Amino acid sequence: MFSRVGTLIIKELIQFRRDWVLLTFILLAPALQLVLMAQAIARGVNEQPTAVLDLDRSALSRRLIVALDNSETLRIKYYLRDTDEMAEMLDQGVIRLAVIIPAGFAAGLDGGRFPQHVQVIADGSSSVGASLSMASVVEVVNRFSADLIAGYGLVVPEFVDFRTDIRFNPTLDFRDYSLPAQLGFIIYQVTLAVAALGLARERELGTLEQLMVTPLRQSELTLGKGLPAMVIGGVNFGIMWVISLVVFHVPMHGSLALLTALTLLFVITVVSWGLVISAVSRTQQQAILFVFILAMVEITLSGFIVPAENMPPLLRAVSNLAPLRHYLVIIRGIMLKGAGITELWPHALALAGLSLVMGTIAARMVSRRLE
Amino acid sequence: MSLHRLFAIVRKEILHIRRDPRNLFLVTISPSFLLILLSYIFSFEVSHLRLAVLDLDRTPLSRRYVATLTGDGELVLTHSLRTHDEIVPLLKAGEIHAALIIPPGFADTIHGGRPAQVQAVVDGTDPVSGGQVISSIGARSGVFVAGSGADSPQAGVQPVEVRSKAWYNAGLESLLSMVSGLMAIVLLMPTLAFTLALTREREAGTFEGLAVTPVTGPEYIGGKLLAYIAAGLVSALLAWAVAVLWFRVPFRGSLPLYLFLTAVYYLACMGAAVVIANFVASQQTAMFIVLLAFLVPSFFLAGLVMPVSTESLRSILTSYLLPSTHFVEISRTVFLKGLGVRYLLRQTLALLGMGLGALLIGMRLFRKKVG
Repeated sequence: MFSRVGTLIIKELIQFRRDWVLLTFILLAPALQLVLMAQAIARGVNEQPTAVLDLDRSALSRRLIVALDNSETLRIKYYLRDTDEMAEMLDQGVIRLAVIIPAGFAAGLDGGRFPQHVQVIADGSSSVGASLSMASVVEVVNRFSADLIAGYGLVVPEFVDFRTDIRFNPTLDFRDYSLPAQLGFIIYQVTLAVAALGLARERELGTLEQLMVTPLRQSELTLGKGLPAMVIGGVNFGIMWVISLVVFHVPMHGSLALLTALTLLFVITVVSWGLVISAVSRTQQQAILFVFILAMVEITLSGFIVPAENMPPLLRAVSNLAPLRHYLVIIRGIMLKGAGITELWPHALALAGLSLVMGTIAARMVSRRLE
Repeated sequence: MSLHRLFAIVRKEILHIRRDPRNLFLVTISPSFLLILLSYIFSFEVSHLRLAVLDLDRTPLSRRYVATLTGDGELVLTHSLRTHDEIVPLLKAGEIHAALIIPPGFADTIHGGRPAQVQAVVDGTDPVSGGQVISSIGARSGVFVAGSGADSPQAGVQPVEVRSKAWYNAGLESLLSMVSGLMAIVLLMPTLAFTLALTREREAGTFEGLAVTPVTGPEYIGGKLLAYIAAGLVSALLAWAVAVLWFRVPFRGSLPLYLFLTAVYYLACMGAAVVIANFVASQQTAMFIVLLAFLVPSFFLAGLVMPVSTESLRSILTSYLLPSTHFVEISRTVFLKGLGVRYLLRQTLALLGMGLGALLIGMRLFRKKVG
């Protein structure tokens, strides 16, 4: 049996060599893409173009403006003259945030008329950016207030002095959060696509019939189609993991052995999904369509854009069937938190179960297709 | 260029699209279908931050504090801890977003008029939820201060407070941002269909038949392009209907303008496809390129969730070379801001430039040869 599977794999490799653009692409493009994307992803909401309308023009208002400018999140680009100019700039998208300091700000504070209100207007069309920027302004204003309290000698006892201790990603760096996720996505997409097109391509080109008259048994054909996809997935994972560590300094606190083992389970599950698609599609185009749809659904259910806890209960349940969802928790847990099997066992178990179930279904469907 | 031959190709392509149900689905219906799938999650998004509490004080006041924090449901108490050691495993497993530690003597300190120190240990791996949890606890601790009935009449009143307002999306609903932004992603499907169509003929061998006709290269490409842009506009209209009628996203702009700008977006994407198709031997490779070069980067770099990074020239270039980045802005501006071309000149010209430039290069490279 192994010699037959081996021969099939050699045939696959020869085919890959003929379409060398494809091969190069499959091996290099993921790594290239990771590098390109990682360096382009924002590390956080930084340097959001902001405009200030200072109607007070006092030393105090200028102090507040400096404090806002010093914040990483905001960058004061414009000093406005009136609200019309502000409206125009917000409409144009030239600024994402406008801060209005009212006239009589300093005088009011000196006279003890509290609170003085600072108005913030945000471009809500990008909701996440807007809420993060607004939170930033609130933070700066609160600190400014606290300084004032000390300066004015007010008695405002802070009943609850709230301290934070941020673990695992102390700077709340978005890049460290998204890189492992990108790794997961890219492996998912490439592996799925390679596996899905395996049979469909042969069927469309007419070469499948020739394969069926060979002594190859159905299980061997399945294995022969699945293994190259798994190898490609594994190689991609290796290259990208090294890049993440060496080029982008993503931390790796946990065990590489555990990560590799669970990645293997992940790849097996994805390859199985790909083989199922491949068995169900009659043309390459159909397979490609399924791959795209499945990929987009998986990205959404994976919890990257919307965390699983925020999903409606039905979708949250369905998301547990998505291998990517479990893999993201695992890869982030191992790399960023140093988590081990004791903490990650539910997701590891889920992946193991999924790989078993999908693997069986794939084998069953491929053999039925080949009859 | 003969218009007669050009339109003959257009007619042929449209016939092809209509005859093949899978292609028809891909070009016209899949964007709407995907929009529903991807956006469904955002229509039910609920903020659910999981908090564990280690209450070492166990007094009525500490219990009231916890109740204040979790009162409105944004923070959810999931674990009542007994020891410090329980905290880190829960964080590592991703079971909680933060753990709140209330020290012994909390109530006594507060009743004595001194600030009591409370600590939150936060999981920083996901910066968005991490930041949310911190600002949530902070804000609610502030409310607790105000309600504690302090002696000083100024207790709980800050000198400076922020009044915020979000324009275009007053409730900062992620559904509005995401549906309008996701149009850029789902409208990549007609581009995928176009790319497949370009490579399919060569792969299937029917290109030979075309090569012996008097049809020139530009007419061939132009005809395909026109046909797929037209079909793509139908699908854009359907997707628009889904956004407005199903998800009830407000559409404040002009529909003809939106469709025109969609056509410009298609021009940019399909133009790039024309260039790429010259180097691609199979549909499989074409699919990979669209997948890895357009789809995945667009999810991360187009400003869909996090704003575009302006940290370095490289990151700016990477994001703004993607047509989707521009269309996300365009779509959100027309949907939510209801503005016209005057406000979108930058993005429109960028897309036009990319499209025409790519088409010129692509047509240059195209060889009406077989083999």
